[in-house]
This record gives sequence, C-alpha cells and structure tokens, in this order.
Amino acid sequence: MSSIAAPGERGRSRALPSSLVWGGIVVGAIALLAIIGPWIAPYDPDAFSVRVRLQPPSAAHWFGTDEFGRDVFSRVLAGAHYSLGMGFGATALSLVLGIPLGLIAAFDRGWLSEAIMRAVDVLISVPPILLGLLVLAVTEPALWKTIVAVGLVYVPIMTRIVRAVGLGLLAEDFVQAARARGESAAWILAAEILPNAWPPIIVETALRITFAILLGSALSFLGLGAQPPASEWGLMIAESRPFIEQAPWIGLAPGLCLCVLLIAINLLGEGLRELLDPRLRGRG
Amino acid sequence: MADPGQAGKGPLLDLRGLSVSYATGRGQLAALQAISLAIPRGGAMGLVGESGSGKSSVVLAILGLLGEGATVAADAARFDGEDLFANAASLRGRRIGVVFQDPSAALNPALTIGSQIAEPLVLHKGMSQSEADARTIALLAEVGLPRAETVARAYPHQLSGGMKQRAVIAGALACEPDLLLLDEPTTALDVTVEAQILDLLEGLRARRGLSLLLVSHNLGIVDRLCDDLTVLYAGRVVEQGAATTLLDIPAHPYTRGLMGALPRADKGRIGRLVPIPGGLPDLTKPDPGCNFRTRCAFVEPPCSAPQALVSPPGEEATGRLARCRRAGEELAWPVPPLPERTVRGEGETLLEANALSRSFALGGWLGRVSFAGGRPHLAPQAVVRAVDGVSLVVRKGEVLGLVGESGCGKTTLGRLVLRLIESDGGTLRFAGETVPQRPGAGFRRRAQIVFQNPDSSLNPRKTVAEIIRRPVTLFGIARGAAADEEVDRLLTLVRLSPAYRGRYPHQLSGGEKQRIGIARALASQPDFLVCDEAVSALDVSVQAAVLNLLDDLRDRLGVAYLFISHDIGVIAHVADRIAVMYRGGVVEEGPAAAILSPPYHPYTEALLSAVPLVGARGRAASRIRLAGDVSSPSGAGGCRFAHRCPRRIGPVCDEVAPPVIEPVPGHRIACHLPPETLAAMPPALGAA
Repeated sequence: MSSIAAPGERGRSRALPSSLVWGGIVVGAIALLAIIGPWIAPYDPDAFSVRVRLQPPSAAHWFGTDEFGRDVFSRVLAGAHYSLGMGFGATALSLVLGIPLGLIAAFDRGWLSEAIMRAVDVLISVPPILLGLLVLAVTEPALWKTIVAVGLVYVPIMTRIVRAVGLGLLAEDFVQAARARGESAAWILAAEILPNAWPPIIVETALRITFAILLGSALSFLGLGAQPPASEWGLMIAESRPFIEQAPWIGLAPGLCLCVLLIAINLLGEGLRELLDPRLRGRG
Repeated sequence: MADPGQAGKGPLLDLRGLSVSYATGRGQLAALQAISLAIPRGGAMGLVGESGSGKSSVVLAILGLLGEGATVAADAARFDGEDLFANAASLRGRRIGVVFQDPSAALNPALTIGSQIAEPLVLHKGMSQSEADARTIALLAEVGLPRAETVARAYPHQLSGGMKQRAVIAGALACEPDLLLLDEPTTALDVTVEAQILDLLEGLRARRGLSLLLVSHNLGIVDRLCDDLTVLYAGRVVEQGAATTLLDIPAHPYTRGLMGALPRADKGRIGRLVPIPGGLPDLTKPDPGCNFRTRCAFVEPPCSAPQALVSPPGEEATGRLARCRRAGEELAWPVPPLPERTVRGEGETLLEANALSRSFALGGWLGRVSFAGGRPHLAPQAVVRAVDGVSLVVRKGEVLGLVGESGCGKTTLGRLVLRLIESDGGTLRFAGETVPQRPGAGFRRRAQIVFQNPDSSLNPRKTVAEIIRRPVTLFGIARGAAADEEVDRLLTLVRLSPAYRGRYPHQLSGGEKQRIGIARALASQPDFLVCDEAVSALDVSVQAAVLNLLDDLRDRLGVAYLFISHDIGVIAHVADRIAVMYRGGVVEEGPAAAILSPPYHPYTEALLSAVPLVGARGRAASRIRLAGDVSSPSGAGGCRFAHRCPRRIGPVCDEVAPPVIEPVPGHRIACHLPPETLAAMPPALGAA
C-alpha cells in the first residue's frame, strides 16, 4: 500500500477534491456519532416509556418516539455502529480475499486461474441475498455472522473486478520490462500492478460498502441479522412498518440516515480515486 | 501555387486567415492562427507538421466538425465560390469527402460494407436501394477491391486493414465529391499496403479530376501525391509552395530541420541525423514573434518581432512563401559531431538463435469441441506459427535491424530472444552459454528491452527515479546513495537533467518518456538491447534525437541492438546488418548495404520499392507492387512469400522450401530464383 503514497509531491500544494472533503466530513461525523453516541444520547435507546408512545418529532424527542415510547434519535445514534461495521467490515473481508484471488487469477494462465474463476462463476450465479440467507439460516443469527456472510457474497465480485483490471495492466509494456528484469510474480503484482489497480478498486469498494450496508440492513429487515431489541437501522425500518401511516418518522429517521451515509461514502470513494490517480492530479 | 490551366475560375477551396481556438482549463488555446491555403481544381495540397501543429484542426474546420469548445474565425472561407462554413453541413459528405487514419474506427462493425457505402447514396443522392447497391459495387471495384459483390456483403472485421481503407475511400467517393480530405490515410497501414493505397489515390485523382488535401507527418508520401505543400508549425503556416522546390531547398529553418531529421532509406547511414531541440510552444500564450525561435539554430534578436509570410528574396515569381526573415539564406543546421566508434560490430558472437520457433494456439479448448460427424469430439488445435525456425546472430556492439510488416513475427522474435515468452523449438545461446527457458539473473541483467509505446512502457505510478533505480538495486549495481548517483548518471547519459527524478511519466513528453525507457534498460549495464519499434511513436524531430542517442550509446558502451522496426528508413540508418522477416521466417539477411541494393529477395525488393521517398518522383516506373497482404492464404511447405511473389516461378515455389543463396559471404537470400536473376534486379530505392 505504501507505493500509492506519492513521493515527489512535497512542495506542491494542491486543493483536495471537494467530493473527498464533503464525503469525508459526513462519514467522519457519522463515525464520530457512532462512537460517542452512548454518551450524548438523550435517552436509553432500549428504555420503554409507554406514556410517550408514537410521539411525533418535538424538542424533547428530536426524531419522535416509536411504538414502545423509545426515543428514535437515541436509537438511530446507537444503531450507527451496526451499519458502519457492516459496511466496512464486510467490504474489508471481500477486499482481503478478493484482491489476492483476482490478482492470482489475472497472473496465472493455467489451471489455478481457471479454478478460481469457475468458482467465482458459481458463487456469482447465486443471488446474494439467498447466499446470505443460506449462511445465516443454518446458524443462530448474529451481527458478526451477517458481516461474514455479506463479505463472502462480495468476494467473487471483487475477484472479478481485480482480475479484469489486472489483465489489462499485465498487458502493458512496463510489466514486460519487469519480466525482462526477472522480477518475481509477487513483486510484479504488488509493485507494478496493484498501485495502478487501486483507483478502480477504490471506486468499487465505495460502491460495495454501500451495497453491504444495504444488504446487511435487508438481512436484518428479514430478521436474519441484528436481533431485537438492537437498533440496527434495517431492523428499525422493519419494525416501523406496521406504523408507517400513523408514525412515519420511526422508519424515516433511520432511512434518511442510511441515505446520507451511502451518498457520503460514494463521494468519499470518488474523491479518493481522484486523489490517488496521478493522471487526474496533473491537470489544471 | 500558380494554377495556369484553370485561370479565372478561382481555387476550389480557398481559406484565408483561418483561426481556430479551443477553450481549455488554462485559457484559450490558439490551435490555428490565421492560416491561409488554396487548392486549385484538380490540385493536391499536402499539409505537414509534427503532432500538435494543428493539421487535424484544419481538416475538422473545413468539415465544420469542430466541437462546441472551439471558436472558428476566418477572413474568407470559400468552397467553389460558396461560403464554406455556412454550407458545411450540405457540402460535407457530398462535395467534400473525407478519409481518416484508422479504417477500423471509420467503419461501423455492425453493418455490412455495402450498406455503409449505399446509405449516403440513398440519403444524399435520392437513389433507390437497388440503384445504390449497384453503384456501391461499382465503387468498390473502382477502388481496386476484388470480388466487389462479396466485399459489399462482408462485415468490416472480415476485411484486412488495406481492404478496409479502400472501402472507406469508396465510401468517401460515393457522392462524387470534388475534394477529398485525407487525414493520415496510410499511417495505420503496412508499407506495401500503403503503396497500393497511394497508387489508388494517384489514379483516382487522374481519372476523376479530384482535388486532394493530404494531411501527413510523412514527407515521402506527401511528396509523391501533392503538387503544393503547406508546412504548419504550432498553428501557423511557416512555409508554402510547390512541393518539388520546397522539399529540394526548404526556405524555413523548421522545414530544413525536418528534412535533416528524417532517416532516409535511399541515403542509408548518413552519419548523423539533425534533431530539432525542444518542443512545441505553449499555444495558450501565442508568441507574437517567430514561434519557432526557441528551437531554431539561426535565431537572432529581430526574430522576436512578428514575421510575415512572404516570398523569399528572388523567389517572388514562384509563389513560394516562408515565414522567416532569413529565408533564402543558406541555413545549414549544425550537425552533431559523430562520436568515436570504439566497437565495430565485427567482434565475437554475443547472441545466437538457432531455429527458434513459437506457435500460438487460436482459441481455447471449448472452441475446439466439434459436433461434426454425429458425436462430440475435440477438433485439432488451430495454431499460428508466429516465428518459424529463425536463426540469427548478433555480434558484440552490432546493430541487427529486423524489418517486416505487421504480423510477420518480429515482435514475437524480439521477445523470444529475451526469453520473455517461451520458445517451442530451437535453441538460444548468449555469450557462449545456452539460455534456458527461464533464465537466471545473469542473462536478465545483460539483455534488456526498449519498447515502442512510451505511454505504456513506464509505470504511471512511479517516479522517474523509482523507475530507473529498481534495476540498479535489483542487480546489485549500487545501493543507497550510490544508487541515487547512478540514477543521475543514467539520466545524464540519456541527456535529461537530474531534475527529472521526481517527475511522473504523465508529466513527460513522448521523447522524454522514451529516454527514461532507455535509461531503465541501460541501468543494468546490459550488453544487448532489443529495441522494439523504439522510435516509431515519436515525431521526426524527436525521433532523430533518440536515434542519435541510441547510436552514441552503442558507440560509447558497446551495446549490441536487435533493432526492430517497420520503418526501413530508420533501419537503414541504424543497422549494421539487416534481416528481413516475412510470415515468421527470415527471407533475407546480410550487411545493411547489401540488403538495400540488389540482389534482393523478391519480398525485400517489393518492400523497398514501396517505401515513399522524398525527392524521388521519377521512381514510379520501377515500382514493384504486391497484391493482397500478409494474411492472404498460402500453401504449406514452400516459400512463405510465394502467394504474393511477383517473381513466382511456378509450383516449385509453393511446394519446395527455397534454397539459401549466398551472393556474397554473409548475405543470404532464401529464394528459388537463380542468383543471376536476383543480381539483375534494378535498384528498388532508385539510383542512390
């Protein structure tokens, strides 16, 4: 990873991409809230309060209250870490497995590549939600299992993308030059290919994080992820469903938070790609 | 640009004071600055200049196809008396035809050739579909495509590059245009195919009275087709006049520089090429004075004043124009001194390939599953013999030039001798030792490669210093601070300042990137370099500098090169010995002077006579033309060139492998023709 840190930049001041700044601020703010949530939350997120059931947003309850009188704002705060953990955890898993597999599949022209790619074909042909269901249905639901399930679902997608990018780069002359020096396969992949593969991988990662959050929420919505009374956002939306007419804020608050988080992550990914690509940097 | 025959009718195309500018992030870029040119009816104008000089902007402006970001202004722009810009949409495609560089991009891959040519006939000419189809076939026949009906039904991918370009020309001719714009029409084609296309264009011009505007970087083809020449430099016309006089005695220092930088097949090794230092000026801030003066060897203080495009003294009557206050003076570019050659390529053998072969399988095993005959089975694997039993020798400090057309296997051979791809037959020896399929660090250090495409040969994520330092440390040549010093030394060796260390490839020009590629290859202090089309992507002025550099390095370091190129001029300039490849095999090999003059292998003869030369207009009579192209089918077992050979004897050529004739020791020709016949061939490069 160190080779993406570009030397030779010192002395050159340049503005960060605005998408990176805004995406970073929002994601950072949500991450911060997820961490300090327990201390700043006005109420206990799981405390029932029958007297204030289904209250609309007010000064006392910013996002209103749910059917048990729990404070929706406090619950949303407490749920942020589920979504963040889900998105980043699952995607990190898919990267850790997908990048090496994809690079090997690109470099090797023999049976190993064939084996990896056919396995990927099989996995990719199963709908992701079904694959997640399969993993979760056979065991007791738990958040970490959801993360692993979602991460595994995205490994074949990551593998394919890395392989496609790697194949293109392996055809470049600078790789031939490395072969002409007798460089090892590992060096070629790590030092010549990977630094050039980051931009598409990062964009894909941002996209995957958002999908992972959505898929995780969907699994929770289906009752296979976080379990009540956890305030996972997908689960909150699921629980709000019967009250959608009377008290839309119960579902709206976690829904909007999801939305803002996803957009911010996408902006962040776009900004990172711009920052890391020296070709985009030299312009202007 | 006198036009005596058509006096009074005025030129067909008349552009006066055409300016084009593009909006960019750094302000307005003045791509064309008040250029004027006129093409008489039936006349042919050549437009030359290096990349970025504005040639293509002229073509796009004439067609009215400049995008939204472009601002076009002109004092007058008339086509046959009409306002060109007001009527651009109705003129283009009807009275003005156009042929671009890449025929593959010009044709829609999803439509048949016939339907693409017939479409404008129906659209613009109001023909019925059957009339248009008949006309299409007539057009395809006119541009020399055999079996025109079959071609009309074919899709672009079924045709070779030369056939596609013929089809594009047929399409451009469909609406009987008066003017044909040709933007680098043969740059993507092989030299023998290029010669066919140039013949075709010459014939069309004579038959149809077409006017041509030929945009090219190649002075040879411009000289062949055009009456008049316009030389563009950084958006300005620097010289204009009749092609013959202009190329004989160029008046402007830039044109003189271009001529001096050009390696010429007919001149062979002319000592030193004259590079033009520097690069194009910044067009966002056009220099009001002479914009070539920063690169010019004859610059004087008054050159910073605006220069007018006027006739040089004593040439007012010829209509010749030059934008230089010193035009007409005897201006000879300083020729860089010839270095002392310490190593002549006559030493001991360094690299010896013996019957090297490599085939490539076509398609995977799934594609071979066949159901013919009722039950599934695996059909035999289709293979291409890219390199077929090639033997060659490179001596210490010697340059072996390898020429041949695209697809002849020269790149594969270059990779085979470096063991970058494994051979499936033959042996390779380097410095007396057999090189295994997976050679060790010793061979890797001593044999290196320089690539064609400067954009893909450098890792865009590494700085110049990182790129050059890697082989230095990898092969243990230097470590730590000593390695940094070595990087600086290598940069100086390829004539770049050590200030380039921190730059990334995208911050370098094409010529600079190529130097970095050379420095990287030299970093391991090799004895042998494969230069795979190492100068083909560069402009002539830059190419001259890189060729001189490679020349110097050979002389100073004693490095031997396998110099692969399709450009015979370049090969003639650099090579001590030349090998000519055709369809995976070497058909002729010998000292450079012996290859470039008779006796020839018939393929060499055709190849050489297809080379467009500057100032060789009388050569047409002796031209040999090859029919078809490399991909035409041929029988196995016989001579690999028999299917296209203009001197084919008979079935013996198809069935029996040709014997190797050695007219003089070291000059080998594989041909069935008797040595006397070969010796009686006329010189294909003209009387040089």
